[in-house]
Amino acid sequence: MTQQQFTKAVGNANEINELLRRYGVKFGIYKNGVFNEQFFPFDPIPRVITHEDFQSIEKGLVQRVNALNEFLFDIYHDKKIVNDGVVPEDFIYISKGYLAQCEGITPKNNVYSHISGIDLVQAKDGEWYILEDNLRIPSGASYPLIARELTRIAAPQAFEENSVVDNRSYAKLLKETMEYANCGGIRAILTPGRYNAAYFEHSYLAEHTGSVLVQNDELFVEDNMLYHRTYSGGKTRIGVLYRRIADEYLDPLTFLPESLIGIPNLMEAYRSGNVGIINAPGNGVADDKGIYYFVPKMIKYYLEEEPILKNAPTYLPFYNNDMKYVTEHLDTLVIKDVAEAGGYGVVFGSDLTKEKLEEFRKTIIAEPRRFIAQEVIDFLDLPILDKGKTVMRKADLRAFILSGKETKVWASGLTRFSRNPDSFVVNSSQGGGFKDTWVLSR
Amino acid sequence: MKRINFYYSTKLTFDDYVHNHSFALRIIPPETPSQINISCALNINPFVSTQQTIDAFGNNVTSGYLREDHRFLDFEIKGTADIDHTKYRTDYMPCYLYQSEYTQPDSILKNFYDGIKGNCTGSASERAAYLSNVLSDTISYEKGSTDTKTTAAQAFMLKKGVCQDFSHILISLLRMDGIAARYIAGLAFCDGETHSWVEYWTGDHWEGIDPANNCPISDDYLVISQGRDFRDCAIDRGVMFGKYTKQLQLVRSVLS
Amino acid sequence: MGTISLEHSDRLYWLGRYTERFFTTIKALGRQFDKMLGTKQGYTDYLDCFGLADTYSSSMEFFRSFLFDNNNPNSAAYSLERAYDNGIVLREEISTDALSFLQMAKDTLDKAEKSDNIRLALLPLEDILYGFWGCINEHIFDDEIRNIIYIGKTAERVDLYVRMKYPYDLVKKEFTRLLKNLNRVPKNTPFRYNTRYLSDLVIAIGTEDEYKQSKAIAIESLKHLFEKPEVVA
Repeated sequence: MTQQQFTKAVGNANEINELLRRYGVKFGIYKNGVFNEQFFPFDPIPRVITHEDFQSIEKGLVQRVNALNEFLFDIYHDKKIVNDGVVPEDFIYISKGYLAQCEGITPKNNVYSHISGIDLVQAKDGEWYILEDNLRIPSGASYPLIARELTRIAAPQAFEENSVVDNRSYAKLLKETMEYANCGGIRAILTPGRYNAAYFEHSYLAEHTGSVLVQNDELFVEDNMLYHRTYSGGKTRIGVLYRRIADEYLDPLTFLPESLIGIPNLMEAYRSGNVGIINAPGNGVADDKGIYYFVPKMIKYYLEEEPILKNAPTYLPFYNNDMKYVTEHLDTLVIKDVAEAGGYGVVFGSDLTKEKLEEFRKTIIAEPRRFIAQEVIDFLDLPILDKGKTVMRKADLRAFILSGKETKVWASGLTRFSRNPDSFVVNSSQGGGFKDTWVLSR
Repeated sequence: MKRINFYYSTKLTFDDYVHNHSFALRIIPPETPSQINISCALNINPFVSTQQTIDAFGNNVTSGYLREDHRFLDFEIKGTADIDHTKYRTDYMPCYLYQSEYTQPDSILKNFYDGIKGNCTGSASERAAYLSNVLSDTISYEKGSTDTKTTAAQAFMLKKGVCQDFSHILISLLRMDGIAARYIAGLAFCDGETHSWVEYWTGDHWEGIDPANNCPISDDYLVISQGRDFRDCAIDRGVMFGKYTKQLQLVRSVLS
Repeated sequence: MGTISLEHSDRLYWLGRYTERFFTTIKALGRQFDKMLGTKQGYTDYLDCFGLADTYSSSMEFFRSFLFDNNNPNSAAYSLERAYDNGIVLREEISTDALSFLQMAKDTLDKAEKSDNIRLALLPLEDILYGFWGCINEHIFDDEIRNIIYIGKTAERVDLYVRMKYPYDLVKKEFTRLLKNLNRVPKNTPFRYNTRYLSDLVIAIGTEDEYKQSKAIAIESLKHLFEKPEVVA
């Protein structure tokens, strides 16, 4: 079955989008202070990853996530990688993601990043590059999951003929991962509430993993155990909490005192080993844009292996040689502010006027640690349907890697594309859409 | 070495009932080479089951949860400790070298440091003493102009503050100077309330300095909690629910 | 899972109430429309049931407001929006499938608003709502959870039927359903009935004569049915 035939079989995108609407595939967005739910536009043409490609991506991602988990354990314990001079101390302690309060805490089975979302792009020459690591609360797995459910109904023939690996095992994989981190009790998913951008995902994953979806006011910590307050006045112990709120808001008695969405003394229960937290608090130190540069070095340091997947060529103005290169080639590089996320704080040198470029150069010289610079990768564009016509657009791939007893790569992923032909930014919060990602089994 | 008796109490009173009250106390003095607890008793009223943990900075954390309605929460600690400040403490953490929430300098504080750094020379102890001297010439001790939320930069702008502000500014200056420093909350000879001072890293151990009094610490200083700044060291933190509008806190402490 | 929080139990109850309020409103408005066909009969008797003033310039304006106006708290659209609000936070309890029927109901109502023949365009709602209740029966394993939704549903029905002056035998039937549901509620949970108000309700709806005279008492008792009894010292 060709791509055209598949597209035809899936119908025009409206039909599938109509079904996605019906099942509530939405994300919330605040515009001018008003909450709106938007449907996440789905493009029916799947991204296809060949069996051979996936095998090498899979190995590379497992390797990367294993090294990142070792790194996190090391940073919150002996700090060997710093003491051995592989990663400069500054990059750890200036990172907003480093949480001193987590020093010495060892999560169950030493797993810090249970669910890792690694963003990759494929260049025109076919090579895959890592764009960034997301080890805090990577979102997006639910979208391809439900889209697959619907496209299998709409175009059964495509799945009959193409030997696409079934991706609907994600919920099972997630449940196993949660159980591996479980310290004795029920599984719960903590959401900040229905006005969160990813609320659909929180509730969908709760439904499909058989977890209780909770908000902070339903929970309390007593005698260093986390409990769900039941409506009859009783309590049910929670053994593992997949939290979808940021570290800083997790426990007002340990982190931000003004947090209204946290659970007081959760960190004491966690430190005592009475509850697993997915992902571990403090992971932000490893997915910091500044730390990204060092991940290939981590792989060599901890695993004594050569990195299988490449980073995009990256420069750290912190190092004098790199600063020289960056200031001289600013007009061709992409500059990222290490403190920003979600597609914000990304500047393409080629978009800037001469004056702006000069201004930016000064900012970088004044705050060298705040930025990283990367060569612009010549993305392989993907076809998308736009008003009945196929057009080519930039797209990336968020791969999901789950670390339980073993580290496993989900044979699918979230392919996000930019709807704007001139844009490289694919985030849903910036108006992008998504595609299903097919991994072929042969 | 000196044997001291200590007493500290806090009475929290609310103007209406509160419930689902979680708290975390950093009130039991940590055991360190320079400080050994001979006896130590913690009383909390109303009765509540508590748990003990040790946090990342080495503090004893007592946590508890009061589900039922109550209008007050009192806790007091009474004990005896042997203090010998000449015994070295070596529990270093690299994060103490970096500015934290309360100590982050603004451009004014940075400029101030740039203006004095030429004279800030010698060993870590000499530099700490110098910075503390400059500080006591620049900032006046005055109650009421700052509160527990005041940062080093804000207090420096006001040019006045209490022991907490002196500590934050000194820590900020020490860290700018490349010396790791930490905040200490504890009890000292001054009766009535808790005191705060600073420890700086000499290269192989911690030394204490009291910037509010511009003097080195002695065996009359009992450490209760320590951390990057006040936020890590708050003796009591709590979250509670109810229609209360005011909470009154009475603190009493005695060191003898 | 076997753990229900107070917040969720409240949501379940209101999901039942608002879904039922939506359905009964749509049906009642349909009957009102039918009653007015070819007669001089107006719509004010509908407003009277709820003690509402006639502020409408035409019967079409009345119907459009009570069907589609989100700002009218007595409209079908308003009830459906509230049902959806409660449902959206109960996905893992009631299932994505059940929720999808509420989304479909919303979409159908939107389409009907733009249609030339509104009643015809509203017809699929009946299938959709029965589909919703089918899902509730099918997907919810925990009887306690399902029962809370049904308590909301039957309490709403009794309330609306009484207000809308339904014939006694219909009210009695729904009241019996409510009693059966109430009997399943475990002690010390929020939807355990208040004995005092339940006995008032039993008297008020006990016989046809009583029903005709005591509607106000019935509505009032229903309102307080889940209040915690005052503790006598």
